[in-house]
Amino acid sequence: MINLLQALIDGALVGLVYGLVAISFVVIYRGSKIINLAQGEVLVIGAFLLWTFTEGARNVGIDIPLPIALVLTLIACVIFGAVIERTVFRPLIGQSAFTIFMAGIALLILLRGLAQLIWGAQTRSAPAILPEGAIDLGPFLINTGLLIGAIFTIVLAQALHLFFTRARLGLRLAAVAENHTTALSLGISVRQAIAVSWITATVLAATAAVVLLSGSILSLEVAVIGFKALPIALLGGLESIRGALLAGLIIGIAEALASMYLDPITSGAASGLLPYVVMIGVLFIRPYGLFGWRRIERL
Amino acid sequence: MRPTGIFFKTYAAEARVLETRRSRLWLLALGVMLVALPLFSGPWLLGQLTYAFITLIAVYGLFVTVGMAGQINIAQSAFVGVGAFTAAKLSGLGVPFWLVIPAAALVTGAVSVLFALPASRVKGFYLALTTLAAQIMFPIVILALPMSWLGGLVGLPVVSPELFGLSLGTPHGLYWLALVFAAVAMFCAFNLPRSRLGRALRAVHDNDTAAGVMGIPVARIKIEAFFAGALFAGVAGALTAYYLQFVTVSSFTIFASVWYLGMLIVGGINSPLGPILGVAFITFIQEGLHTMSNMLLQSESGGSFDGGAVFALSSIVLALCILIALIFEPRGLAHLWHTIKTNFRLWPFPRN
Repeated sequence: MINLLQALIDGALVGLVYGLVAISFVVIYRGSKIINLAQGEVLVIGAFLLWTFTEGARNVGIDIPLPIALVLTLIACVIFGAVIERTVFRPLIGQSAFTIFMAGIALLILLRGLAQLIWGAQTRSAPAILPEGAIDLGPFLINTGLLIGAIFTIVLAQALHLFFTRARLGLRLAAVAENHTTALSLGISVRQAIAVSWITATVLAATAAVVLLSGSILSLEVAVIGFKALPIALLGGLESIRGALLAGLIIGIAEALASMYLDPITSGAASGLLPYVVMIGVLFIRPYGLFGWRRIERL
Repeated sequence: MRPTGIFFKTYAAEARVLETRRSRLWLLALGVMLVALPLFSGPWLLGQLTYAFITLIAVYGLFVTVGMAGQINIAQSAFVGVGAFTAAKLSGLGVPFWLVIPAAALVTGAVSVLFALPASRVKGFYLALTTLAAQIMFPIVILALPMSWLGGLVGLPVVSPELFGLSLGTPHGLYWLALVFAAVAMFCAFNLPRSRLGRALRAVHDNDTAAGVMGIPVARIKIEAFFAGALFAGVAGALTAYYLQFVTVSSFTIFASVWYLGMLIVGGINSPLGPILGVAFITFIQEGLHTMSNMLLQSESGGSFDGGAVFALSSIVLALCILIALIFEPRGLAHLWHTIKTNFRLWPFPRN
């Protein structure tokens, strides 16, 4: 029983942090109507930037204090998001969904190639930003880093939700997500919307990288997180930020249960397959997710 | 645009893929040259061409699914993998290759239908996400299955194909095998747009609501598009298995899928000529990068250049090619080729 509850707590915390990555999908989709498959790569770039400003700088003899390194990473992420918007997505405004999707895929291999060329394929240890260790809570152990990450995710999701539903700029982004051409004819700057959503999402992805990778291993393979978060974003509904949170919780717990009860039977495949089975199921049963806008084009 | 002086007296003559006698002669010459090539070429070129032919078959599969029906498929590499594992398993059981290849195609087709079923509910990139799920699930499933089934992490050896007691496992044999199937794939792809199914695919691509109103069973056509594309992938997979002589999951990654899509887009998504141009162009660039980096490696004697950097560089080049094609020439090299041809024929008059 204790084991079960412990697994549930861990699953919920990990799920919430994955929810943070899912939120970065949602932010891009809500601001620009782009499902960006390269989100995992964006996250890796964010993590590598942070590594460069902390460990990397230390290796060449410059010791940057942590707060300044974080600010530098933030600035670099903003620049990175703006550059992507300017070079890749601005020329494609108003193009078909297919074109934009393919541009996202091209971006995926472009970023992966660039990351490999600049930072190399070897694994390194990610800088430990969050405190390590665990809190004792009765019979349970709670990972401090994950706990802080989960709380941070909830607060952030609430703030972003308010931004998208109350703030003028956020509402403008929603109009762009509805239709590029309509938004343009209403006098909304699609460029600005895409830039804002990309910058926000890049910063979010970098934050998720900080939380998830704090003190663990950093390599190109970490980009798989992006594909793991995609089912969460879809389950929650691609337009819903709080939905991503709940979906993260659901998938995190389900994955924990699957890895506890089904993995021994299926030699470890069940927990890996679960998110994608859920994804296909969602597409079948409720394509707009739990809280998405019900306007999926259907036959 | 036809050159001056070319006209047709019958409708059948006008409807041909190769309209003039000269174009038929050129194709024949190309065919004879390709068939005779192994007699006077080195093993390196032969291997490259064999692999290019196999890739071409897979990209033709994408042409049917993505180019003609407009359904995004980012699991082509996983489908090729399904074909390869089926072929490896069957060849291990002693099935002759002329049964293995159709069987691999059919098994792959069946798997693809499984992932195309949501087409009855959703479209656009929501549908693409199911293929993404297929691509990601493929290695997990193969690795989780018992070792004795599909080899798991180790992989499966492949028994060389044989025909009338002659081994086709030699470089020459594999080259001819791949050539024959690439020719069949090309024949299908050039004729599909003129068939009933091809027109239905095109209608679904252009506007599926209108297609439905016109009496086309849209969901079924979409599933058929995936099935047809996966048949090509299955054949390509079986040939890959024979070519590599050993199959492991690591050969069929999402990156390979993206490469296939990239070749299709760079070549031209709407023309059956596109895949040929795309595969030729990308293979050429890739090999160029390889040769260049090898030269650098020798001259610098182990400088900062290694295999990983070459892979990274070629991904960057491919990604840039896709982006440039999407932004500046969405109709790809095939359209460029068409423009050049028209200009040449109309010279010295302006094209418009």
